[in-house]
Formats: sequence, structure tokens, C-alpha cells
Amino acid sequence: MATLLDLIIMLVVGGIILGFIAGSAMFVIWLERKVSAHIQSRLGPMRVGWHGWLQSVADAIKLLLKEDIRPKGVDTWVWWAAPFFATVPSVMAFICIPFGKPFEIRGLQIPVIAPDGLRIPMIVSDLNVGILYILSVTSVCVLGIFMAGWGSNNKYSLLGGFRSGAQIVSYEVPLVLSVITVVMYVGSLSMQTIVEAQGDWYGLKWFVLRPNLALAFIVYLIAATAETNRTPFDIPEAESELVAGFHTEYSGMKFAMFFVAEYTNVFIVSAVAATLFLGGWQGPPIFQFILGYDLPFMPVFWFLLKVYFVIFLLMWFRWTFPRVRVDQLTGFAWKVLTPVSFANLAFTGWWLLR
Amino acid sequence: MMNYIASILVGAWSLVKGLRVTIGNMCRRAVTVQYPRQKLEMEERYRGLVDLRREDCIMCLQCAKTCPTGCLSITVKTGEDKKRVLETFTYNMEYCCFCGFCEQVCPKSAIRMSKIYEVTAYDRNRLKIDLLKEGKYDEWANPPTE
Repeated sequence: MATLLDLIIMLVVGGIILGFIAGSAMFVIWLERKVSAHIQSRLGPMRVGWHGWLQSVADAIKLLLKEDIRPKGVDTWVWWAAPFFATVPSVMAFICIPFGKPFEIRGLQIPVIAPDGLRIPMIVSDLNVGILYILSVTSVCVLGIFMAGWGSNNKYSLLGGFRSGAQIVSYEVPLVLSVITVVMYVGSLSMQTIVEAQGDWYGLKWFVLRPNLALAFIVYLIAATAETNRTPFDIPEAESELVAGFHTEYSGMKFAMFFVAEYTNVFIVSAVAATLFLGGWQGPPIFQFILGYDLPFMPVFWFLLKVYFVIFLLMWFRWTFPRVRVDQLTGFAWKVLTPVSFANLAFTGWWLLR
Repeated sequence: MMNYIASILVGAWSLVKGLRVTIGNMCRRAVTVQYPRQKLEMEERYRGLVDLRREDCIMCLQCAKTCPTGCLSITVKTGEDKKRVLETFTYNMEYCCFCGFCEQVCPKSAIRMSKIYEVTAYDRNRLKIDLLKEGKYDEWANPPTE
């Protein structure tokens, strides 16, 4: 009985997560198109729905109906499995993202599921190695990109895959180092604990307000832009050099999976940035003043607000900066970001032990 | 070492300047319009398709002579009262380069450039326009939406 119940809960939670990922990816794609258009003094999609808000749905339907073209000479299994290797890790990373404050409904007593009050944790599983889990799972995404580059039997795809590998190996180092500074402050890898450490003081304890962690935030933001293959670090799919890079040979739903994986990764790095540096779901308790108690969905609202703020920052970078060269890219990671984050790490260690 | 740090700081400041430009553009109003639904009014001196006011034409044929691509072809016949009458005035838009020489050379300002800028057609024969016909540009100014 309990196993069946667990299975049902798993399916429900999985459904919610997958639905959220699909909806969020579509919304972010629409937002990207609107932001890029307005930065270039255009209007962007305007036809489908109010200000084109259904454009992503129309695009998804179009991609679903497209022919799945299989080029000659592809490495069948590698080519076929690559989109899954790109998408699945980014979906898995959602397990450890805290969407809100855990809350209990005391009055509600359901016999088998919750005999004494229903507790909703607002995180799928608060692993005690949460941030480590997210970092390790999302770095599997590069495998999908690399497989796509190898399997496509296309020199441009292969170059894109190589470049992606070099880029992610380089930028993983400063990314992890900047995360470690936060972990040193909190003393825990669990995401909910990291958020709770930034509570109280009306947001003055957010880690981004400490000078050394603000530097870590900047390093994280740059490394995260590179991790998600976005401009100015989008050399794996540089349109002017490599056609479309690793996904040149993909069409239809396989291409859509790469696209969804990319935007899901953007959401994940923004969610991690919001959790580690911007106080997660903590926010000004507006309803505390008005009603005397805080509404349970307000933390979710603050969390999503911060996440979409970071996503907007990434979009703003994308439509402002020109693409860097390959040697500049790796040089920047090893010669600037890594020494800076090492120095920051050493300073933080000295500060904490002083 | 100092140069190295200075170059990083200068680079970072230039990035901030770039970001300021783009956010400024984002807050500005869009300059494009939703084309088939909204259309821009052309400027006063815009050179669109050639138009003719028949009553002012004195049949001097200057426009046909000056046209660099020879897209205007005019035939004149002498009427029964020994007066010259315009028989045909065909404008082959396919060759027109919209230079505006015909407008400049016309002594009576009978031929002039209109503001019509939608100059595509599905049928090549439609590009040969009889300028003597009434309402020849009615379709062109508002092309039917397919």
C-alpha cells in the first residue's frame, strides 16, 4: 500500500515538474524573443495571442509536425541518444531546487498520506548534498552536446562539440570555486539550509551583499553564462562560423529537445544563483504587515521573481556583448576567473578563521 | 601586474557602458511597425511608381527620351482637327529604376513620382502599366491580402 502511494506521489510530483519545465522553457523562449526585439528597437512576436504570448506554443506544434531527418552516415545510437543526454540531466537538477518555504496544513488530516497534518516541503528532495548534486548532474549535459557533435557525421557539429567540451571544462572550475565560498559560509550543501542562512534582517543577510560573495556572484554569473552556451560564450553553436554547431543535423522534436534543454539549463543556473546569492525564497513579508500572517505562495513568488531577474540579466548580456574567440574564452577562464576565485576563496577562508 | 589589473578594470567598465546602451534602447519605443496591418506614410519627396496627369501632358516626349532604362513608351496620333492626341502611354515598371529624371524633365509637371512603394506582382504582365487608364493604381496602393 505504501509503495503504491509513493509511486502515485512520485508520478504527481514528476508531472508537476515536467509541466513546469515545459511551461517555463516556453515562457523563457518567448521572453528572450521579446527582450531581444525591444533591445533592437523592434516589436518581436505580435501575432499569436496578446503580444505574441502563444508564439512558443505555435513553434512547439510546428516542431512536432516536422519530419525527423536522419542524415547519411550518422553514428545511429549516439546520434539518437544525444538529445536525451542533453535534456534528462537538466530535468534531474530540478529535484534539488527549493521553490519556497516548507509549510504545513495542520487541520488537514488524510488517513494514510498525512495522519497529522500535510507537510509540503516545496522541494522535491532536500538532499544533504544538494548543490553538489546539481553541479554534478548539470555537467552531464555536455556529454549530450559532445555526442551530438560526434554522432552527426558533420565537421561543423564535431567542432561545436569539441569547443563545448573545452568551454565547460574551463568554466566548471571558477563556477565551483565561487559556489564553495558560499558553502564555506553556510557550512552545509543542502539548498534549504543555504536559503535559511540568508533569512531575517529584511534581506540584509543575502550573500550578494557581502563584498567577497558579491565577487563570487559575478564570477558565478560569468561562468554560468559560459556553462549554458550563451552569448558572449556561445562558440559551440556560433552561427557565423559553425552553421548551428552541435545541433546542425537535428530537426523536428530532437532539435526541440536541445532547445528545451538549453532554456531549462538557463532556468537552473538562474535558480542556483537566486538560491545561493539572492536569498532564495526569502523576501519582504508584505502580507505579514497587512494580514498578520504570510501567505504560503509568497515565497514562491519571490523565488520566481529573482530567478526571472537573473534570466533577464543573462538575456541582457546575450544581446549586448559580441562573441569571444576560442583562445580568448579559455584564456579568460584560466587567467582571470580562476585566479580571482582562488584569491576570493583564500580570503573567505582567512575571514572565517580569523 | 598593474597593467594587467588595469586592463581588466577598463574592460569591465566598457562592458557596463555597453549594457547601459542596450537597456536605454529597450526602454525606447519600437521603431518598426506591424507591416501588412500598419503602413507607414511615405515622405513628400519619396520616389514611388510613376504617375501621369493626362490633362497637363503636352506630348513633348521628353520623359521618354530622358528615361535611362527606356521604360516609358508613348505613341501620339493626330486627331481629325489636326490636334495631337495621346494614344498610348505605357510604363513598363519592370525596367524602372526610380531615378526621377522623368519628373524633373517634364515642363508641365504632368508626370510625377507617386508614394506607392508596394511594387510586386504575381503576373509579369501586370508590371506593364497603362498610365492613361483611370484608377490604374487602385489595386497597387492596397494590394489584396492573400
